[in-house]
Amino acid sequence: MNNTQKFFSILAVFIYSAITIIPIVFAIDRLILVSGFNPILWIQSLDQNYVSQNSITFTFVQAFFSTILTVLIGFPVAWVLGRYSWPFKAFLRSILTLPFVIPAIIAAMGFLTITGPYGLDVRTDESTWWWTLIFSHAWFNIALIIRFCEPVLSTLNPNFEEQLLLLPNGITFFSRLKNLWIPILTPSIAAASCMTFVFSFTSFALVKWITVRDKTLESTMAEVSSSAGIQGYMESSSDIVLGASFIQFLVLLASLWLMSFLQQRRQTKWQQASELFVQNKNAKGWFVLVPAIFFVQLPIISVILGSFRVRDVSENSISFKWSTEGWYEAFQGSYSFPPLSEALFNSLIYSFGTLIIALPLGYILASTIHQLEENNSNLSRILEIYTMLPFALSAAMIGLGVMLGIIKLNPSAAYDFRFLPVLAHVIITVPFVVRIILPALRSFDLSYDENAKVLGMSNFSRFFKIKLPLMKGSILVATVFTLAMSLGEFGASFIVARNSEWITLPLLIDSLRGKPMKDPLTVPSSNAVATVLMLITMILFLIVEKFRNTKDRGMF
Amino acid sequence: MNFPHFSKLMVACLILFPSFTGCISEDKSDNELVILTYDVNALSDSMISKFENSTGLEVKMIKVEDSGSILSYLIQNKGVGNVDLAIGLDNTYLPTAIELDLLEEVSIVQDSISGRNSSSQMPALGPYDGNLATPFDMGFICLNYDSSIVDGLNFTIPTSLWNLTEPEWKGKVALPSPITSSPGRGFMLATLDYFDWQNNDDDFSNWWTAMKDNDAIITSGWSEAYETHYTGGYGEYTEGYIGDAHITVSYCHSPGVESWYNGNWTKSASLDIDKTAFFQVEYASAIKGGNSENAEKFIEYLISSEVNSQMPVENLMYSVLEGQNLPEENGYRFNSIIPSNPAVISNVDIGKNMEIWLEEWNEAMIKSE
Repeated sequence: MNNTQKFFSILAVFIYSAITIIPIVFAIDRLILVSGFNPILWIQSLDQNYVSQNSITFTFVQAFFSTILTVLIGFPVAWVLGRYSWPFKAFLRSILTLPFVIPAIIAAMGFLTITGPYGLDVRTDESTWWWTLIFSHAWFNIALIIRFCEPVLSTLNPNFEEQLLLLPNGITFFSRLKNLWIPILTPSIAAASCMTFVFSFTSFALVKWITVRDKTLESTMAEVSSSAGIQGYMESSSDIVLGASFIQFLVLLASLWLMSFLQQRRQTKWQQASELFVQNKNAKGWFVLVPAIFFVQLPIISVILGSFRVRDVSENSISFKWSTEGWYEAFQGSYSFPPLSEALFNSLIYSFGTLIIALPLGYILASTIHQLEENNSNLSRILEIYTMLPFALSAAMIGLGVMLGIIKLNPSAAYDFRFLPVLAHVIITVPFVVRIILPALRSFDLSYDENAKVLGMSNFSRFFKIKLPLMKGSILVATVFTLAMSLGEFGASFIVARNSEWITLPLLIDSLRGKPMKDPLTVPSSNAVATVLMLITMILFLIVEKFRNTKDRGMF
Repeated sequence: MNFPHFSKLMVACLILFPSFTGCISEDKSDNELVILTYDVNALSDSMISKFENSTGLEVKMIKVEDSGSILSYLIQNKGVGNVDLAIGLDNTYLPTAIELDLLEEVSIVQDSISGRNSSSQMPALGPYDGNLATPFDMGFICLNYDSSIVDGLNFTIPTSLWNLTEPEWKGKVALPSPITSSPGRGFMLATLDYFDWQNNDDDFSNWWTAMKDNDAIITSGWSEAYETHYTGGYGEYTEGYIGDAHITVSYCHSPGVESWYNGNWTKSASLDIDKTAFFQVEYASAIKGGNSENAEKFIEYLISSEVNSQMPVENLMYSVLEGQNLPEENGYRFNSIIPSNPAVISNVDIGKNMEIWLEEWNEAMIKSE
């Protein structure tokens, strides 16, 4: 590594630390100033405050059941998709994995419409809310099971199964499952389950809207966040935030470690074969795929239809009419709510702002890690873990960190600096950029670069003529992923920007939906905004799918 | 591997971005009025436009969830000066705001506001009569019940708060939490006075514990209690509706509002039990460090006859002006009761003891009988 490279690497690490770590440290410092440093008391405070009582149990139990249901629904889909050949398979895969990139608040709107009194009308008691939440988490995470298991299923050499068929332990389907598939698939299923657990554990938008009384640690934290970090006023809020953050940090850290361990086991090389050779036709598979497509698409369609369906109450009777009034209301805006166009503009500015910072920062950090790896330096491992730290912070923790951290640095900046959400989005997206770019750098064949160097090409030309074309897929995936994550981000933005004029699309959906329901346009207008956000996300997702490297099918 | 050029480009982006953002961030001008509020219906588009046109000021809104969030926001931003006017602090939060020195005095003539020059059943200046806060709407918070179910046959009409702890009411009462809701806070204060009036202060804790053990539905806000759980209101026409509670906390004039919207028909009624109603007044206050001159102009506009007399229709609350009442059309006034013996808790006591009372409430809710 020459001096220039060293300079930029150190600068990138410095900027990353300044953006990511310092606000979080300041926020914790501010909270500790109010609550004192006693992690046991922080955790105890969760059960000593009615507002957060039972949130620990609820968070763990719902995450556990969500994971189980996700595997139960997702695995048969992954199996059918991986083991058999299907017309328009890439399109089918895109449709079935689409929910993962749909912002959670849109999923919440979709499920509310389906289960509400003018849908299935099953939202009548606590068990229904519970199962609606569990199913919505399964809907959201089904893509993880498909993404992790389908590549293994679709490329495993069929010779294994054929040989096993001849042995006593492989005669029946269940014995083959036990002796072949379970050992091979366990690391993939476990890794996907681990991620599903993490996403369900830190679920916010779905819990906020779908469950009525129960709260996760994440939603509890967001609920009390406005009064956290204030000395002498509602100090219990600071205890609750610290307790919830501490538990979440430990659980997410443990999950990260487990994921890393499982990923290593997934890398065990099995003899592979072409999909064309592995897969054959099986019409019965449609009995799995059709319901799965229906399950995946229903909330999306209900959001779109819900934007045109307006309630009409007259003389104590209720009817619905099809109308564009909701769209008009969303585009019109009011003094309380900005128009859709303004929220869209804010969202786009934030997502491009995030991209301008996160992509180069993530790229330089990934390059630095890669450079250090080449020198076999232990520093590479340390830096890699360091860049992954935000994975161990939930969105609400990041939002609160940015908010309280900035208040500590400069109180007026917290409310005057309209690009504050960008800071939160950068913290969230940089680790993803690093995770996407790093494997591409590792697989880059250095001989191309060296040959070009021998031929006398400058650094500049080599980068643009050789490296960029070879890495453009990964850079584009990172670009689109950063844009999509920033556009749909809700948890951190809810804390940072909900009280500002710089409202984003997900925040506008939340605000519109939070209006008193007596206004018949409350639901259609929020669904109209959700439809716009969903369409943008879907377009970005299709772009990613087009450029995704087939080797990276297990990656997000 | 070499990457200096690309890195330079990217670092340039990193350095340029903050400067770019700095260019776009806006400074607050003298011609601007920043209002901190929650979703107060009275602040309609036409009302704000009229104000802007007549004064030449540009109104900007910072919207938070509720009255409590207004107070939290003001404390977090004390001394920042980014807000000129807060609209929506009520008399359960106002004493804390005054105690923490967040508000600025304004010289508003409050003679037209009820409670100073005459005896009124609803004296708007009763809870607070000073220059730090000007009332703009009011109403009594009390229990509402679904009269189509709570009809004396299917359910007996409660005559005491203890009735609600009986098995008949298990899981059928929705109460907003005093920690996160201002109507919830108002009702909690009323229960304090109710048990004080019965000469048994311990019963405050015991009653709330008994309510929790009787599966009372404690919600984070009024909307969730009234729209999602209550069977007697307009919630049943909405998508999030569950309808598992026949009694909830709302305003004593909420049945009147239901009737007004439904062409003189409502199945909701207010429960007039002594000392269970709390008189809530909402205020507009200039904020220390903000532009109090601009704030003053808006407060004057807000309590002008032209705007404030429309409160029952625009904001579904009582006007604070002397001589104003709810409209008689569609049974609005007929279905709105004024409680015969409401709870009385002074602002001084609220300011001094609110945190302690909330702590007592919390203790009661986390313990089991």
